[in-house]
Amino acid sequence: MDYTNQKNPQNYSQMEDLKTLDLEESVSETIMRDLKMIAYKLKYVLIPKEQEDNGKELRNWDLWGPLIFCLALAMTLSFKADSTTNSSKSDVFAIIFVLIWVGAFVVTLNAQLLGGKVSFFQSVCLLGYCVFPINIEAIIIAFVGSYLPFVVKLIPVIICFAWSAYSSVGFMASLVPPHKKKLAVYPVFLFYLFLSWFSLIV
Amino acid sequence: MLDNLNQDVSILQPSLQMTDSQVQNRIRQMKMEDPDEQTCYQKFCNLFTIEYYREYFDVTTELVIAKVVNAFNPFSGTFFDIGGGIPELYGPFWILNTLIFTIALSVNIIKYMQLQPGEHFEYQFEIVPFLAIFMYLKTLIVPMIYRVALKCVSQDRLTLLHCFTIYGYSAVVMIPISLLNSIPNPAIQWMLLVYVLFAQTSFLTSNFNQELKYLPKEKKYMIVGLVAVVQITIMILYKFYFFSSFNYQQLGLVKKRMNTHILQHILGAN
Repeated sequence: MDYTNQKNPQNYSQMEDLKTLDLEESVSETIMRDLKMIAYKLKYVLIPKEQEDNGKELRNWDLWGPLIFCLALAMTLSFKADSTTNSSKSDVFAIIFVLIWVGAFVVTLNAQLLGGKVSFFQSVCLLGYCVFPINIEAIIIAFVGSYLPFVVKLIPVIICFAWSAYSSVGFMASLVPPHKKKLAVYPVFLFYLFLSWFSLIV
Repeated sequence: MLDNLNQDVSILQPSLQMTDSQVQNRIRQMKMEDPDEQTCYQKFCNLFTIEYYREYFDVTTELVIAKVVNAFNPFSGTFFDIGGGIPELYGPFWILNTLIFTIALSVNIIKYMQLQPGEHFEYQFEIVPFLAIFMYLKTLIVPMIYRVALKCVSQDRLTLLHCFTIYGYSAVVMIPISLLNSIPNPAIQWMLLVYVLFAQTSFLTSNFNQELKYLPKEKKYMIVGLVAVVQITIMILYKFYFFSSFNYQQLGLVKKRMNTHILQHILGAN
């Protein structure tokens, strides 16, 4: 995990002390530290004004954030799926889970093949964090969707899709050479479009 | 010797030039043929590195857009002149994925429009794995058939990758047509599919024709006939499996526990 919250150890004995401190602290402290890190990264990724150093914070990638958002989205959508339709709840969960991870993998691979020089997991981490607006939209639609006509449901979907796409496009476009930017951005757009559409119709 | 590489190749094949990354790949291959310079990793694992495939993604935005616009024009026959006729895999791959998404979307829209007033809309999602597998297999196998046919008439300028490229771009016409296919009128749907058949076949044949100009007539007609037959088969499959209006219960055949219910429905409907 990331030790930037704690003091840097000066020598080996202090590192040992930190390790035992880590084991001795309560579980809630450990979890809160990780949650705070996820929240910090989330604000950093989704609110572009917070980025003062042009995306260098993203070098400390972690996959906990994407996992939490992926699981939350899959659980929200499978909770809403009836058992009487052709796709049961477990199908929807599996589809969303596989789609997010395989989709992030394919989009990152595409950016690398086009000549981008970014670490693989950095990009997966970013794409996972940008799934958060789709999460919000899925929760909105799950709770109030049955009372609203289709056109009203489209409004949060479009807003959240635009938010996700806009936050990740800035990063993805900076990875590849200038004449290939749109080529790297289009798969990201397709990825979030598919996720938004899926959360709309379930 | 390596400096004259690009010139030597361009003398042999005047219409097909090499990009920088292709030249570098060729230089690397020539270095690697020297057994002292090859490491074990380079000998066997080259297929698994990303650099090996980077050559096929060496495109710019303008190039891709130009090729897509050209693919909408069935008669121009200039597809292989764009960008020097370099084969690439970016276009075919992402056009394929867009097409899968579009067809899944339009199948759901068709189903939505056929709802009776009291029914609740159930989206059809099992179609997507089948659709994806069908599309990927089609895009893998059909260019191989074309390449084999071209080899039979001893045409060696179009490699397998050229066939992949042109076949992938020919699928672009299907994307707006499948969105329009959700209009409930059956006459319009048939007309749209006939248009796609015609457009794709003439795009492929007019581009192969450029390369086939010097062959005797029988061989030319053989290639054209092969292209047309393959396209007709695929269009028939599209119409009767994906866009047909009475097939939606049958699509649930993939789920085991719905099997008896579905079989009864089919027997009842027939």
